[in-house]
Amino acid sequence: MSVDLTNQALKAVELAKAAGADEVAASIRQSRDVTFEYRDGALEKVKDTTSQGLGIQVFAAGRYSSHQTTDLNTERLKSFVAEAVAITKALEPDDFRKITPEELFQNRPDIDLDLVDPAVAEITRDQRLAWCEELDTVARDNEKVISATAGVYDGSSLSASVSSNGFSGTQQSTYCWYGSSITMMDKGDKRAEDGFYVGNPHVASLPEATIVASTALNRVLSRLNSEKGPTAKTTMVVDSRVAGSLIGRLLSPANARSVQQGQSYWGGLVGEKAFSDTLTIVDDPLIKRGFSSRHYDNEGISARAIPIVEAGVIKNLYVDTYYGRKAGLRPTTGSPSNRRLGTGEQSLAGLLVDVGDGVYVTSWLGGNADRTTGDFSLGIRGHMIENGQIGRPVGEMNVTGNLRDLFSRLEMVGNDIYPYSSTLSPSLVFADVDFSGV
Amino acid sequence: MTIKRRDFLGSVAAGSAIVTMPGFLSGCGIQTATAIASATPENPFMDWFGVDQAVVARVMSELTSRGADNADLYFQHTRNNSLTLEDGIVSSANSGIQQGVGLRVVIGDQTGYAFTEDLTLQSMLAAAQTASAIASGSQIVAPQSFNPLETGNLYTTTVPWADVGVDQKLPVMKFIEQHAKSKDPAIEKVAVYWGDGDERVMIATLDGKLVTDHRPMARVTVVITAKKGDETQSGYSNIAAREEFSWFSEERLLKMVDEAVDRTMIQFEAKRPPAGEMPVILAAGASGILLHEAIGHGMEADFNRKGTSIYSDMMGKKVAEPFVTVVDQADIPHERGALNYDDEGNKAGRTVMVENGILKSYLHDKISAKQYDLKPTGSGRRQSYQYAPMPRMSCTFMEDGPHTKDEIIAAVDHGIICETYTNGQVQIGAGDYTFYVKNGWMVEGGKITAPIKDVNIIGNGPESLKRITMVANDARLDTGGWTCGKNGQSVPVSQGIPTVLVSKMTVGGENVS
Repeated sequence: MSVDLTNQALKAVELAKAAGADEVAASIRQSRDVTFEYRDGALEKVKDTTSQGLGIQVFAAGRYSSHQTTDLNTERLKSFVAEAVAITKALEPDDFRKITPEELFQNRPDIDLDLVDPAVAEITRDQRLAWCEELDTVARDNEKVISATAGVYDGSSLSASVSSNGFSGTQQSTYCWYGSSITMMDKGDKRAEDGFYVGNPHVASLPEATIVASTALNRVLSRLNSEKGPTAKTTMVVDSRVAGSLIGRLLSPANARSVQQGQSYWGGLVGEKAFSDTLTIVDDPLIKRGFSSRHYDNEGISARAIPIVEAGVIKNLYVDTYYGRKAGLRPTTGSPSNRRLGTGEQSLAGLLVDVGDGVYVTSWLGGNADRTTGDFSLGIRGHMIENGQIGRPVGEMNVTGNLRDLFSRLEMVGNDIYPYSSTLSPSLVFADVDFSGV
Repeated sequence: MTIKRRDFLGSVAAGSAIVTMPGFLSGCGIQTATAIASATPENPFMDWFGVDQAVVARVMSELTSRGADNADLYFQHTRNNSLTLEDGIVSSANSGIQQGVGLRVVIGDQTGYAFTEDLTLQSMLAAAQTASAIASGSQIVAPQSFNPLETGNLYTTTVPWADVGVDQKLPVMKFIEQHAKSKDPAIEKVAVYWGDGDERVMIATLDGKLVTDHRPMARVTVVITAKKGDETQSGYSNIAAREEFSWFSEERLLKMVDEAVDRTMIQFEAKRPPAGEMPVILAAGASGILLHEAIGHGMEADFNRKGTSIYSDMMGKKVAEPFVTVVDQADIPHERGALNYDDEGNKAGRTVMVENGILKSYLHDKISAKQYDLKPTGSGRRQSYQYAPMPRMSCTFMEDGPHTKDEIIAAVDHGIICETYTNGQVQIGAGDYTFYVKNGWMVEGGKITAPIKDVNIIGNGPESLKRITMVANDARLDTGGWTCGKNGQSVPVSQGIPTVLVSKMTVGGENVS
């Protein structure tokens, strides 16, 4: 199978060369995805699909373009590739556009990332239905529940990539996720809603469906009678489950493109102490069974762990070959993989006791951040922290500040890494955060 | 520096060595080996996808072999093109072709779905069998032929995007860049992002309809980065529509550039407002994001038929003052959210969600319409053939009210007015929603005073509707390129509103203690 894909990708490279390209990179992917959704005692949706696609990057006469198609018919592919080369030649020349140099392909790791579970291909309709029924039964085990949807999502993907300067690789992975979303009657017309989903490349690694559904149910129950909290400057504890999203915002401009374009508050800070000692982030593509683990990135650059922030000091940016050349930075990788945060000693409960009073954030609602300045403002839901304990549920509040400033006030991190995300973060504690509410 | 219209056109006409890409891809990209011989095809879309009535009927029959209340085949071919100008040169292009057919079977509220990117009969039959597995009944009578409905004319174009070459777009991008750079010496970088596309859909339904639609789309974005001392600010503006190349007039482009520059430069002076609850004025246009989040999503009938929306039990009730009328309307020519037919083959049109303060109608797809025993509102949309449709918004706006913008500003003693936005979100059940304000102003003593930036605003949908205390007479749709995401599917939308006053919302800001 992977041999066939590699041959197809090689064929696309040949076609592009024949049409006048100087250098070409091509990749082909195939995927199978199955969705089972089950609502309030009955199957609601079954989706079963296989999909395919080709992507090529063309370098011709000092110019560059990229193209994708789902139509792999041999004849039509020929005209597609010919047009791709013609489009490339109509652009302006750019000395910085070059195919990934061969030395970046070297030392590709070959450790087994354990991303493929043969059992995923063997999951039966009956198994999916059984999971749905277990999830549904537990999720609706409360009279206030209006509706609960159980979902099972599994599949696999296979890709082959080649280039005209000698790159060749294939990557394969499987996945299986399941969980429940629940809506419950609350005050007046309001409904409380939440959910919980777990996933892994390996089916056997998943917690029992009943445990997943009961976690979802408890999460919704904890939201009942939520009210708007106070406008205040206080301590913020971000639950590990939603810390990944905040880390994502922090790192969003931490790349050569944003810096070179002048749109990054990370610009000029490599080697500087920019954040609290407590912050350490490593981009690690070699984690076994990691959601974003890989042997090479989308440019063919061999994977390795890259320290981004070490004890508050910025060590590296995400640097692809093009913007790296433009900005005079050595390429690391332009596409993030798994992010692993440094951990502390304490559980969430321990952190809350130390904090005493503040706001415990359990989900975000909208908001945004300016990548150039780091200014952010985000909607939140969560609970008040009262005497070191999780207190009343609050919502309809915003938290506002500047990301660099916020992460310089990261006071503690927990030991409770959330495993169902490619950002492996513990709970985070920030001092003196601006909340707006009543 | 200003470039006159004549020069601008001249530079376009001059072109570069490569002439406009011929339409060869538009034709050859999709013919199958069994291409039709006739010179004047009966249905160009059938030819485009390389199928005929008999093939569609055969697949529909297989799709409904275990029974169906409703079933459809959604053939789609999309070709998108984009160009990037950074650091003074257009040095990157991207194009993408997505082609396939989505096959759907509906029994009650149960859906079976499959798609294939291989439009051979064999692959389509296999996908039809997969989708049909949701049902457990017996073969129903499927149509043997499909009756083509009249094609819509909301966004008819004379030149498809496939026929517009890089050589034509490149000078326009340069024009945008040069004009932006000339606006202020503090501007360090200008980036221009061009996107266009042609989408062709053909929908065959179990009730024997054949709907075809050619949907063009174009969007241009300009991003400005400016530096004063050691402070850097960036901002952007974009315009989007179901339009063709000639729509990008010099006047339209210059207006976009001016907006982007103004939005960027004002940030050097802008501050955060104080945090907490206060009156919020929403300026006419893009502030329609309020309607999209505070009520639009909550009115999508899939949530309501499941009882999971905060609006589930409010039909026919008073939800706002009598001067509040909120509409979702797809048949507005050339708007980004416009649609001739929805993605289930229903004629798309105008749905009044709130009329004079009373909740009047949800947005329905076929599944919810059947459950409520109503006609679908033409709101069934999908991102592509890879997805089953669900109720979605198109162009969402509020009708004019009895007040004026000046009266509204004069009525606020201490609050803010919001002008530009980047994004919003809503929780359907609790009704809490947010939108992120990129630019705005403090309003103090009935007057607009200092600029503000980067604040999230949060409110509760039904509460905010009740708190709309003034509505001006200056309604307009925003021309920005808005995209709505729901359950992992993105669709283009439009939004608009007149100037309105919401008496109290929670504004993200700094605590002045």
